[in-house]
Amino acid sequence: MITQLPIGQIIVIAITSTVLSLTLNAVRSDGIPLLAEELAVAEEIEHDAAEPRLLAITLDQALEFYQKGTVFVDAREPEYYQEGHIKGAWNIPFFLELVFKLDSLQGKDAPMVIYCSGDECGSSEDLAYELQAEGFSNLLVFKGGWTAWNTSGHPTEP
Amino acid sequence: MITLSQRSVIALLCRVILGVILIYASIDKIVHPAEFAKAIGNYNVLPFGLENLLGIVLPILELLVGICLVLGIMLDGSAIIAAGMMIVFIIALSQAMIRGIDINCGCFKVTVENAGQQVGIRRIIEDFLFLGMSLMVLSRGERKWELYPKS
Repeated sequence: MITQLPIGQIIVIAITSTVLSLTLNAVRSDGIPLLAEELAVAEEIEHDAAEPRLLAITLDQALEFYQKGTVFVDAREPEYYQEGHIKGAWNIPFFLELVFKLDSLQGKDAPMVIYCSGDECGSSEDLAYELQAEGFSNLLVFKGGWTAWNTSGHPTEP
Repeated sequence: MITLSQRSVIALLCRVILGVILIYASIDKIVHPAEFAKAIGNYNVLPFGLENLLGIVLPILELLVGICLVLGIMLDGSAIIAAGMMIVFIIALSQAMIRGIDINCGCFKVTVENAGQQVGIRRIIEDFLFLGMSLMVLSRGERKWELYPKS
């Protein structure tokens, strides 16, 4: 058993990996910013279709979209969806099926609201980035998600 | 009673297996830094967008520690870092489970196609196993089959 902490070795390994990884991140073409940025909140819900957007929206804005008949996509696992979801929301676990359905029913420029369980989940944002990569250009992430919607008494099902 | 040489063999096995696992786990994360950073972000434990920094550094640290363990370089340091990482992973996984957030583990694979690996008790047990293996390396009897330092 070692009798004392090998601080020297720990420091050498830690510094080497930090320097190596930061250098690699700086030189590679798909490097990421050192600090993650929060999704910006939409200022208004009206939008010029020519300009792609991926923004966060508040509960009030989500309700406005809902009243306009915008498609809501539930990014949670199906078992959570079955327990309760925003009325009319879609839940399609197979990504390509979702892409196909969204594309064929409303095209890539039409708005869609994506949500998951609440502020603390990331699947809505993940899904939004994946859809963005597929060419969808009007993506709104409802950060409050199911929790905010359900507690404020807006339409749900079942 | 386990003899000293048996203990050395067990420690050698542990360190090679753990090293290979760490190297394997690091590859997908190194290839997909943005996805891995998002997987960390989903745990909701880091403030100020620090998930990106961790997403950049952690995979390389895993890779380096894995290589050190396999080759026998600075074994005490790398085994302690490995043990420390496992403790951090166990805490992160447990708090996610307790809070009931349903997220992708980000343990071995981070891309969409492999999102089936959810946080769960199996991942926690795995990490305890890896923690045990790091401790076996730390408590190895003699310093055999090591590249550096020799004594």
